[in-house]
Order: sequence, then structure tokens, then C-alpha cells
Amino acid sequence: MNDTLQEWLATGAIASGLLGCGMRLPDATCLSHSFNEICPRERLDQVLHQLAETTTFLTSHGLAPRRLSWTFEQGQIYLFPRPDGALLVLATQPNTEAAENVDELAEEFFSLNAAN
Amino acid sequence: MNAPAKQYQLLFVDDDGDFLAMIRDFFASLGENIWQIHCATSVDQALELLKVRQIDLVVSDVNMPMLDGIQFLHILNRSHPDLKKAVVTSNATEEKRSACLAEGAELFIEKPRSPEGLRSIFIMLEELITWTPREGFQGVLRRVGLQDVIQMECLGRNSSILEIHNQQLRGRVYIEDGRIIHAQADDLAGENAFYQLLSLPSGEFQLHPFELPAKRSIDGQWEFLLMEAARVRDETMAAQASATGPVPPLETKPAFESSTTAFHLAARVEETLICSGQGEPLYAWQCPDTSARVALLQNMAQQAASFGQLIPLGNFDRLEIQLTGSRVVAQARADRLVFVRVSTGGEKSATQFR
Repeated sequence: MNDTLQEWLATGAIASGLLGCGMRLPDATCLSHSFNEICPRERLDQVLHQLAETTTFLTSHGLAPRRLSWTFEQGQIYLFPRPDGALLVLATQPNTEAAENVDELAEEFFSLNAAN
Repeated sequence: MNAPAKQYQLLFVDDDGDFLAMIRDFFASLGENIWQIHCATSVDQALELLKVRQIDLVVSDVNMPMLDGIQFLHILNRSHPDLKKAVVTSNATEEKRSACLAEGAELFIEKPRSPEGLRSIFIMLEELITWTPREGFQGVLRRVGLQDVIQMECLGRNSSILEIHNQQLRGRVYIEDGRIIHAQADDLAGENAFYQLLSLPSGEFQLHPFELPAKRSIDGQWEFLLMEAARVRDETMAAQASATGPVPPLETKPAFESSTTAFHLAARVEETLICSGQGEPLYAWQCPDTSARVALLQNMAQQAASFGQLIPLGNFDRLEIQLTGSRVVAQARADRLVFVRVSTGGEKSATQFR
């Protein structure tokens, strides 16, 4: 597991209203961090694996996503796929700093060294 | 009229010092102790004052050196989005009026030439300054398709009145809890009015808080209404083309500017699919592969249910898929599945790869 990515998930990505965040690396390993008990790490990992399948499914239907956002009554799940196959997932509460800044967080994710 | 309890802070911005002096004297006496009047002879001065004073209303001239009133309004939209704004100008052209209103000015008034005129302005400004906005958001958008605005309101199950107008036509669309319940355009009402409004090639719109209309003239589902409006619009365009030769694609581009960093340029609906809750296609428009889209919607519904079990976030509302050059909104409800793809033209995203 890469320390830089883990550190960014634990501290760099933190924002008010962020329930949890995680990455799925191209080799299918997951790094997740929970900021709220309703969003434990192991469940984020499951979400990440499912979203990886969804991304593949959408791409096969000619809908290669740059971003997915699943909106629920009490929160959103965002997915940002990177060209190298890495995925970032963010679970946020609505109308919070985290929800408003998902693009900035994704920008940082994209700027992290793809080899990490 | 009831006297307001608080003292209001007004900032007048005009490069004409004599006019400012007259305003200060006249309005100070009319406003008694309720209005505290501040003056600035340039936008720079005004912005400095805004840093140190809690201003309730800015009243600006249009023609000023360096930065004019329209640019000033533009800056205020970003720096003080909640500030009430009015324009008083001696050059009250229709073009400037439209520009100022589009930049968020609530009032656009010609400069008075008499004490009676000043008194009228005082009354209008007093109405504006004591007016309390109702619950909801206020904002401005640039070149957004009317279809997108209606979809946004309907998908969000909002209640609002969409007022649409251009030089030929003025009308309203009433949306209640995400359902289009009434439309009127000049003498027309109902679906015909709705289609007429959606066929306008350009114009302006405003979203107002919802009020019950005098009658309910529309009962259909909004998705069908939008599709039918697109068909009517296409037919209108084709008729125009056959009569006058080729015409550019119709777009509704209200002259409002977005206050967000991501905005849509010439967005238009490109594909729609509506299915029953069991996945039976009810309406497909420009859908390249209906069965593939149905599979996608059903997959989405399963995924949403699965996510809901893993992370308890309440009922699923929608999935948005950001693609290069387009955006998909997909919904899964017990009674229907909806897939709408909208082109986003020049939309920029923070995550767009460079």
C-alpha cells in the first residue's frame, strides 16, 4: 500500500461533510478511509469494486464516464475514473463543503502520481 | 406603509458629484433616520466602501469612466451575490436595461428630472430595500436551454414558475412538485402554450417562487411534454427552412449569466428513453439502442439498491454520468425508468484532462 495515497485519503481529502473516500488502483487493490461510521472502510471497498464494474459496463455501452454521481436523499456517491484505471470514490452529505468541492478533490487525485 | 424597524444602508455610485449631492440631501430628508446614504464617485470607491460597510442596497449609474455600471453589477454578482442592486441612469436604452437586468439589477430607472421624479424613485427604492426575498435561491444562467431548466425543476421535484419572454411572446410555465401543471402564453393556455414557449428561438427566462395558477391546464408527464415540444419545434424549424431556406439550429439562450464556474453552452436534449418500472419502453427518442439502454437503466437500479444497503443514504434519486461533450441523467423509480442525454457543448469541468 502506498503511503502517499493513504496519507492523501486520510488528510488531504478531508472536508466537512465527507463521509468517506477511497481509491481502487489499477491492480484492483483498494485504499479507503472512513470519516463517518455509516460509511465503514470495508463497505467503501465493496462500493469501489462495484463501481469499477459499472465503469466497465458503461464504457462497453459507449458511455465512458468522466464522472459519475449517484444522488440519494441524504448523500451522494461520486466516482472519478483516471485514465490509468485508478478510481476515486467520494461519499458526501448533501449541501456540504465536501459536496461542493468534489471536483477540486478529484483534481488533486488526478495530479497524484499515477505510478503511486 | 409600515416603517421598517432597522436602519438601511444605501450606496449610490455615480461619477456625477452634483447628482450624488442632490440625492444625499433629498433622500436623507425623505428617508428620515431610516436611510443612511453613502456615496461613491467610482466603482473603486464603491468596492472599498463595500468592504467596510454592511450595505443593503447599491444604486449605480451606468455610464462611468474606467469601469461602467454593467461591469460593476457583474463584479457585485460574484463578490456580493445577496446584495440588492438598482440602476439609475440618464441613458436608459432598452439594450442597457436588458444588460443591467441580466446582471442582476432588480430595478432599472431613468434619472429623474424633477423633485416628483426623485420622490418616485425614493418610493421604488424603499419598496426594493424593504422587500424580503422568499425562501429559495436566486441566480443567473447563461445560454441554458429551456428544456434543461424544466428538466432540472422536474427531476428535483421542485415547485416554481418559469417565466419566459422575448419580443414576440411572453408566458409562464407552472411546475408543482416536479409536474408541469399549467402554461400560458399570451392568449394560449395548456399544452399549446407550452409548445409555443418551448419553440421560441431565443429569449429570457426567470424562475419565480411557485404560486397556484388560476387553473390547471396540463396533466401529462413532463418527459412526454418535453418530447412533444421538441417535435413541434423541429417541425416549426423545418417549416421555416422550407419557406426561407436553411436556418441555424434553434437554441434557447436566455441572456443570463451563470454564477457558477461550470456552465452549459448551447445544451440540448440528444436522447431520451422512458420505460415502465419493469423496463418496458414507453417512449424512445433518438435512442440508438433501446434494449442496451434498458439494460443500463436496470443495472443502475440494481447498483443503487446495492449501494443503499452498503451505505445508508436514503432513497435513490438519480445517477448523473458526465461524459465528454454530454451528460446523462438517469432515474429509477418504482413506476418508471428514465434516461436523458444532453449535449453540453463547451462545458468545462475541473476534472477535464489537459
